[in-house]
Formats: sequence, structure tokens, C-alpha cells
Amino acid sequence: MAETASETFTLVITGAPYSSQAPQTALGFAQAAVTAGHRIDRVFLYGDGVHLASALSAPPSDETNWSEEWSRFLSEHSVPGVACIASALRRGLVNETEQKRYELPAANLRTPFEIAGLGEWVEGRIKSTRTLYFHAGD
Amino acid sequence: MATIQTLHILNKSPDHPRAARCLEMVSEDDGLLLTGGGVLFLATGHLSGPGKVFALSPDIDARGLGEFKGSNAELVDFARMVELSLEANRVISW
Amino acid sequence: MSTLIMIDQAPYGAWTGREALDMAFSLAAFDQPASLFFTGAGVNWLRQNQEAGGIGQKSVEKNLSAAPIFGIEAILADRAACETYGLDENSLIEGVTLVDADAALLNDYDHTAFAG
Repeated sequence: MAETASETFTLVITGAPYSSQAPQTALGFAQAAVTAGHRIDRVFLYGDGVHLASALSAPPSDETNWSEEWSRFLSEHSVPGVACIASALRRGLVNETEQKRYELPAANLRTPFEIAGLGEWVEGRIKSTRTLYFHAGD
Repeated sequence: MATIQTLHILNKSPDHPRAARCLEMVSEDDGLLLTGGGVLFLATGHLSGPGKVFALSPDIDARGLGEFKGSNAELVDFARMVELSLEANRVISW
Repeated sequence: MSTLIMIDQAPYGAWTGREALDMAFSLAAFDQPASLFFTGAGVNWLRQNQEAGGIGQKSVEKNLSAAPIFGIEAILADRAACETYGLDENSLIEGVTLVDADAALLNDYDHTAFAG
């Protein structure tokens, strides 16, 4: 039975925080999966979803900081968080390696997120029991 | 409980074009899980297609739809959503 | 492990379709079977004679013409959506297979995904 065995998930987030509910719903799902004894193989940020990995978002103090919440979850459970490099570069999200490569004035990737190619998604899709997508709503 | 062939996760409100497309592709052996704006389908009452219907409880509460909790959808929490995603043979996020 | 990538947004006005195409090309690059399915306004990707220079974009028709070379198994289009947008064999690009958008289509694939 599915519910007794430990299963693995790849979660793909394509909706950005503060313009969609996608990162929240994905976090609710991820927390429930871990609580049930399953493993999250990786979280892959694609399209507008890469904004979740920004170190520079600073919402008002009475609002949830979704980037911070996700960073904490990834660190606590040693889950790799990967932002798609093509999506990230187009939207101005870079780590220090890419900052140097493109001679940009700053790097803004939040720890522990990494930047990598779509191959990470393909691999997750092959290895994980389920790959689930969290898109923007309306 | 019979196996769900495809679990359709729908987070689009009833007026979104993708919502109609999703409903067209749900078959008798499938499950439809309403999340986000998708739970607004409970308010319209226009959900009579085939397949078993589930709705994510926190999204219903957030939108003040508590009065529709007795309708034709089975309420689920995130823990049940995780189980459903594993019980189904495949999952599509619309 | 076959994958169906769905595109339901019209070209040029949104970026999601291009990102969906990248997903399909990536699967093919890793020898994973992948097909594209255009539905709704997404079928407008498949129209001949697109010239996007005037709006400063690359023609998606050209991107798409590379699909067979990259190893994409099939380019499928929703028959009803093609009718809605006046697309027929004279106006569609080459290599498109018309299909009905129903549960049977999904059953042919292990995995179905939108890019956003």
C-alpha cells in the first residue's frame, strides 16, 4: 500500500511568491509528505517560480516571507532546492558564479538554493515516485 | 477504495479557460482535487462530471466557503493530498 | 516513461509556451520519450508564416521546426481548438497530428505537465 511505504517526490514550483499561491501550497504539501515519512528528492523552481529563491525579497513584517520559509524547510530536511538556470538568468536571479560569468553587479541567490539546468528536473522525474507541479492560479 | 487512474489537481477558478479543459478530460476512473481558486467550483454548484471530487480544506476556509462543506466534494487536508497523489496512477497539475 | 508536455497559451504574449518547449527538448536530450500537445489558444503556435521580428522576438514556428531534430516523438494538436482558430492542413505547419482532447489521450502517457 502506498501509505505505508516511504515514497519520494520531486516538486516543481512554477508560480512566483506574491503573485501566486503556488509556493504556499507546495510547502503545505512538502511538510505533509515529510511528516508522513516520505522524502522530497528535490524542489525545482521553473519559470516565474525562480523568484522564490531570491535573497532580496523583503515583504512587510506582518506577512509570511515565503522565500525564508522555504529556505528553512530545505535546510531542515536536507532537500536540494534548484532554480532552473535559463529561467533564473532571464529573470535576474544569479549566484556568484553566474555573477562573475556575466559580469553582473550583484548575486542574489538565497541559501541553500542552487542554480542548475533542466536536467535536474528530468532526473527527478525519472527517480522520484511522483513529480508534482505547483503552478500559478488565476 | 478503487484505484484512481488520474488525479487531476485543479487550482484554477471556474472562469479560467484551463478549468473547462481539465473537466473535459476527467473520466469515470479519475479523481479531481480542487485546490486554490479551484475550490470556488463548490460555490457555483456546476460540478456534475464523472470522477470522485476532493477539495483542499484550508483553501475552502480561506475563501469563506464553509457552508459548502456538505456538498459533493470530499474534504481533504495536505496529508490526504499526499496520499491521493500516491494512490493515483498518475497526477496532472492543471 | 513517456511524457506529454501541454501548451495551452497563445504564443508571444506569454513565455510559458517557450518554457514548455525547453522542457520537451530537455527530456529528448536525456533520451526520454516526449511529445507536445497544443490545445486551446496554444494551437496558434502551429500556424505557418509567423514573422515575429517586428515585436523583437524569435519566431516560435522556427523553434518548433527543430522538434523532430531534437527527437520529439510527436506534435499533437487539439482538433476542436484548431477548428476554433481556423487552422487546417493548409495553414498548419508540417508534422502535426490532430487528436481529440480526452481522457484516452492522457492514458497514453506516464506523465503530463504544463510549464506553468
